[in-house]
Amino acid sequence: MIRLQNIEKVYRTSTIETLALNSINLEVAKGEFLSIMGPSGCGKSTLLNIIGLLDAPTRGDISIGEQKTGHLGDRELAAFRNKKLGFIFQSYHLINDLQVVDNVELPLLYRSMSAKERKQLATEALEKVGLSNRINHFPTQLSGGQRQRVAIARAIVGRPEIILADEPTGNLDSAMGNEIMEILMDLNRNEGTTIVMVTHDENMAHKTHRLVRLFDGSQVS
Amino acid sequence: MFKHLLKLIWNKKKQNFLLISEILFSFMVIFAVFTFGIYCWDNYKQPMGMEYENVLAVNFTNPVKTTNADSLRLFYETVKRNLKSLPEVDEVSYASVNIPFSESTINNSMDINGKNIRQINEFSGEDSYPGVVNLKMAEGRWYNKQDGLPGTRNMVINRALKEKAFGDVPVVGKFLGDPAKPSERFKIIGVIENIKFNGDYQSPALAIYKRMDTAGYKWVSNMLIKVRPSADAAFESRLYKTLANSLNNANVEIEHLANKRISINKMTLVPMIILSIVAGFLIINVALGLFGVLWYNINKRRGEIGLRRALGATGNGVSSQIVWEAMILATFSMIIGSFFAVQFPLLNVFDLPAMVYIIALLASVLFIYALVLVCSLYPGRQAAAIYPAVALHEE
Repeated sequence: MIRLQNIEKVYRTSTIETLALNSINLEVAKGEFLSIMGPSGCGKSTLLNIIGLLDAPTRGDISIGEQKTGHLGDRELAAFRNKKLGFIFQSYHLINDLQVVDNVELPLLYRSMSAKERKQLATEALEKVGLSNRINHFPTQLSGGQRQRVAIARAIVGRPEIILADEPTGNLDSAMGNEIMEILMDLNRNEGTTIVMVTHDENMAHKTHRLVRLFDGSQVS
Repeated sequence: MFKHLLKLIWNKKKQNFLLISEILFSFMVIFAVFTFGIYCWDNYKQPMGMEYENVLAVNFTNPVKTTNADSLRLFYETVKRNLKSLPEVDEVSYASVNIPFSESTINNSMDINGKNIRQINEFSGEDSYPGVVNLKMAEGRWYNKQDGLPGTRNMVINRALKEKAFGDVPVVGKFLGDPAKPSERFKIIGVIENIKFNGDYQSPALAIYKRMDTAGYKWVSNMLIKVRPSADAAFESRLYKTLANSLNNANVEIEHLANKRISINKMTLVPMIILSIVAGFLIINVALGLFGVLWYNINKRRGEIGLRRALGATGNGVSSQIVWEAMILATFSMIIGSFFAVQFPLLNVFDLPAMVYIIALLASVLFIYALVLVCSLYPGRQAAAIYPAVALHEE
């Protein structure tokens, strides 16, 4: 499903060159739930951004499904992200000025779809995460766990094949974290969604199918 | 997407209040400047209705102490004859103090055709007056000697007054004044084309033209002299001497009507230029303010922009979103501004033609949209250049 070959990422300034990722080779099978762990600054988020096509590697190739992504332009990358990928972030990244349902609808705005259809899909996604009674609330009126569930609804509303989660339980207490993890595991189990999750939490990581560890930009297991 | 942006802007109305107010204020200022400018331009395009080149305006203090009408007439006719004897002089007419392009006005109100019409300018001139400034008759005739016969109460009006009082129908033979007061009633014998006697940029106001009779000579202090193009400074010197000799002990001032036109035009142009400069600075400030606010908003919304890019927005999509948001905000401002602007023609605040306001309103709308577009394009491009991976990790 996802294939990374010899991925290298170097950040350059005028005075310093930082090797963020060094020769990463990784394959994620369809329907797999993979977690990435490592200490702060080891390149976990950089790797997730590269898989999510939000950042380009300095060297190496990425394939998602049958699609090689290296030559894609801005428009194709945007469309690819929109249709194939769903994102969940540690700090939720909800738009506080929009109601929950409008936040969830966001990915669908970039598809040709009627407002009615968008609303229906957003409502269904919110039902899946148990927030159908909060559709007209604003994010500021919700708890952290509820906000993350809204973010999950937003990630799944477009029915992507892959979900990329960057420390989705990082801002939550363990009970809320477990709740979120359950939702992700359900998605993986029932919908067959491939999930790549960056986490600091060993317990959460051990609930996934496979764990990849990074250290100083290199894959160590 | 449009509905989504409307919702986003509406939900952020408190944050957008200042920006909306700023655009509203600049819209109203631009509307005022454009109204003034279009009004002046509209007037400028109208024919002058008279000739001012080679016409001299003479102002003098009345030197005659007698009140005898025949003596006065004889005196002023002698002065006029002396002037006409100069080879460069084509025509001469005494005139009331409110000669064209002077800052003097004589206003009156009259009952005409059952309407009380105010702000009618009252001019007086002799039978030779049209020959001096080349007035054009639209209907009927100008005065002649027969109009000086006892009991004759004739009047010439201008086209503006005719249209206001009677509409677009022939009016020669109709009467001005209250029918209940025969002494104040006049028969219309002619209609002249409008004259822009307040300069190129002012509209031709309502006017009546009276025949200057012997009674009028008691107060006369102005004359207009049509001279030949060959009349030079030497002629003006001779003219001055002739007048000084004829009008004993009088102070005489000679001016070119063309120069008076330039002077009176400046009275409109100077405030227009000052207003335009002030408006120009204001627009620069508004543009910089708008630019700054949009820039600030983009920096505050880097996370949102990164998110939108992650969820499928292209760089151009983000850029056009910023531009559209600014345009929608401008539309809100202009809807409010238009509500106030349309009150001017509806309430006829400055008695300007409604079309002037409508054109000014449309021009202001286009101008503000263009301004907002220009000010939002660069911030929009900057927003498009935000790197999503970086923006999403800043919060």
